[in-house]
Amino acid sequence: MSKDGKEARALEKRTVITGRTIGLMTAALILFGAIALVSSTFLSSYTMFVLSRQIAFFTLIAMAQAVCLVVGGMNLSVGAIGSMCTVVLGLSLSNAGLDGWIAVPLTLLCGAIAGLANGMLIVKLRIDSFIVTLSMMFIFMGLRSGISGGQPYPVPTSFGIVGQRGFMGIPYVFMVMLAVLAVMSYMYRNTVFGRRMLATGGNADAARLSGINNNNMIIGANVLSGLLAALAAVLWTSELGSAAPETGDSWLIVTFAVAIIGGTGLKGGVISPYGIFMGGIIYTLIRHGLIEMKANPYYMNVYIGVLILLTIAIDRLRERYDER
Amino acid sequence: MLELHNISKSFPGAKALDGVSVRFEPGEIHALVGENGAGKSTLLKIITGLYQPDSGEIFFNGKPLQFRSYRDSLQAGIDIVHQEIQVIPESTVAESIMINNLTAFGHGGIIVWKRLYAAARAYMNMVDLIIPPDTLVKSLSPAQKRLTQIARALAGQAKVILLDEPTGALTEHESGNLFRVLRGLREQGVTLVFVSHKFEEVFSLCDRATVLRDGRYIGTHPIAELTPGSLIAMMIGRVFTDPHLGKVNVNQERIVMSVDNVTSHGRIHEASFDLHEGEILGFYGLVGAGRSELARVLIGDLPMDAGRLLVNGKAATIRNIGDSLYRYRIGYVTENRKEEGLFLRDTVRTNISVAVWPSLRHWLTRYINHKAEDQVCHDTVRSLSIKTPGLNQTVDNLSGGNQQKISVGKWLAADCDILIIDEPTIGVDVGAKDQIHHLIRDLAQIKRKAVILISSDMPEIIKLANRILVFRGGRIAGEVQDVDNPKKGYPDISADIGKFLR
Repeated sequence: MSKDGKEARALEKRTVITGRTIGLMTAALILFGAIALVSSTFLSSYTMFVLSRQIAFFTLIAMAQAVCLVVGGMNLSVGAIGSMCTVVLGLSLSNAGLDGWIAVPLTLLCGAIAGLANGMLIVKLRIDSFIVTLSMMFIFMGLRSGISGGQPYPVPTSFGIVGQRGFMGIPYVFMVMLAVLAVMSYMYRNTVFGRRMLATGGNADAARLSGINNNNMIIGANVLSGLLAALAAVLWTSELGSAAPETGDSWLIVTFAVAIIGGTGLKGGVISPYGIFMGGIIYTLIRHGLIEMKANPYYMNVYIGVLILLTIAIDRLRERYDER
Repeated sequence: MLELHNISKSFPGAKALDGVSVRFEPGEIHALVGENGAGKSTLLKIITGLYQPDSGEIFFNGKPLQFRSYRDSLQAGIDIVHQEIQVIPESTVAESIMINNLTAFGHGGIIVWKRLYAAARAYMNMVDLIIPPDTLVKSLSPAQKRLTQIARALAGQAKVILLDEPTGALTEHESGNLFRVLRGLREQGVTLVFVSHKFEEVFSLCDRATVLRDGRYIGTHPIAELTPGSLIAMMIGRVFTDPHLGKVNVNQERIVMSVDNVTSHGRIHEASFDLHEGEILGFYGLVGAGRSELARVLIGDLPMDAGRLLVNGKAATIRNIGDSLYRYRIGYVTENRKEEGLFLRDTVRTNISVAVWPSLRHWLTRYINHKAEDQVCHDTVRSLSIKTPGLNQTVDNLSGGNQQKISVGKWLAADCDILIIDEPTIGVDVGAKDQIHHLIRDLAQIKRKAVILISSDMPEIIKLANRILVFRGGRIAGEVQDVDNPKKGYPDISADIGKFLR
């Protein structure tokens, strides 16, 4: 039995926790325990607060990638959209002096429009999503540099509340992410739109012959991706206290890493929002654990790469064992 | 001379071949016929070393052969042209033909193209493939790709060539050319083993025919001693006395679909017909003759360039399958079940309910009512007797027959009034085939649907339909009426169909 089939069934059985998520949870717990043993400061509420903000952030940008992977595409411009949206947010907050209640929806709209542009190009020109989003990545990055000149925009202190504060030790950012996860999970499990996107990614020809408009699904997924990238940009700006144009530059690789650790199928048709959440936790803990262990910062990426491979290898082995 | 002695092969749960012995002579075109699942493919795979037999021996010119791989069989001079056209799209025709001895044309790994082209051209001439040898394979027609494969077999000095449904994607004209090439090869003493479902081809091309049924050898006879009727009798194990499932009760008063001079450029030319409630209208013809193409035009999957379509008496514009399904209640069961009919990695539930989701959702929360969804799926599973452990079963794990029932079930769940069913029993075993036939009949007779049945299986279409449209070269060449008349036998009707194919 294919692992993808299993994942699909898990989604349909309407259970939130799948076998795979349990495996990932175990991995996260082991990492958590190991770091707690090594470090004395790890279990402090401050560290937890900082780490859960990172988890929220990584999970959100990975979702932005995963929604495109689901329909059998990808979004290489996810970080570039984030950067461009940061600039839009900075411009509207500081230069235009708009209120946050107007600036944020405007930024989200910008992200959605960027995603719409991606989706329309993929569908209308029938070009591979790799090529379209690669080109659009350059365009969005160029726009953000041209408009901003590379300078960060100051934002009002009050704008930092969501990104910097929390309730009962849980950052607001984390709560936003949980809400997004719940919506995503609901969408893919219970709505026609979500299930049709899964169908398109699972077998586009069969989807077409079942009366599904694949183009709409691809456009929808890309809009969703842009929207999520914009949301992440807003939260990051709030956390940082200024709108930095280079915000999304490091996102791309992370989005793939977290989405894949979380069990998102690269060929489409498979997604587990809670798996991606676990992926976010694992990725954050790996990074944090390396810092706690005082690993040579210049070699940091080597360790991260090895640990990601290891996580995925263990997960796949477990799956093959399950199949017997 | 290739001789098989008592070949047996079992797979978990099934005996694919049971003591089969055949002799293939040099200079003959030897048909290998049998129903789906009779063991033809397994036999070909054993001859070419892809499978090892559990018991039995193979002799080639008196010497025993033991192939471990396809490479071994090539070396011995036995090659196969597969049903699916297997080519390397970005290579040249010459490379494809010489693929197994490219090293012979180089110095230290660098290919001398001139010599390669010259050598390839010799084999291309043998199969009448008159194009520049440096043509890229991807630009060839299906027929030219077929010829390229045969030339490759010849370049490998093959003395035996196995052809598995070689006319699959070919037009009638192209098939004719292919047959001329094959007859030429026969004159040169090549042994050709020809697997085909098409009786016209078997009777016009082959010298002898061997019949397999349920993995057993039934017999080998010169074609001249056979008739379509006796061949079918050998294939299905009984004399074909009762070709019909009975008279089809058609409501002539109610025309559910009226097709008027429908044209789609390059595919179908001025097709016209009426479809009635309770009717099973057969579309018969070779692949590429326009049957499936017309179906795809009707459901909006291919463009309709001219003509008119009426559904239930009203003019219908169908731009995509969403229109055909949700506005006009027309369902299309594809012939490519695995490629475009099913979500193989998904569950039975998703595969049955995919087309009904929109009608099950709450207007505000968009929530798909899972209870109602399961109800629809359970009903479908029950009414079609689909054998599955549950709705959560991955479709990939079901048998071909059950998969086919699910692809029909999807449209029943969606409550379609008109069903177009394309090659419903391809890759389905004999027992399931009969079940599916009764299912199609019940759809029309009990559920009062209108059914268009597309098939290249003549016995199947005669068994079910009350009327048959014969397609040829993108046109409806003729109509055979009164197919379900119990006084008519299989030979009468097949002769009627045959008239329109010439």
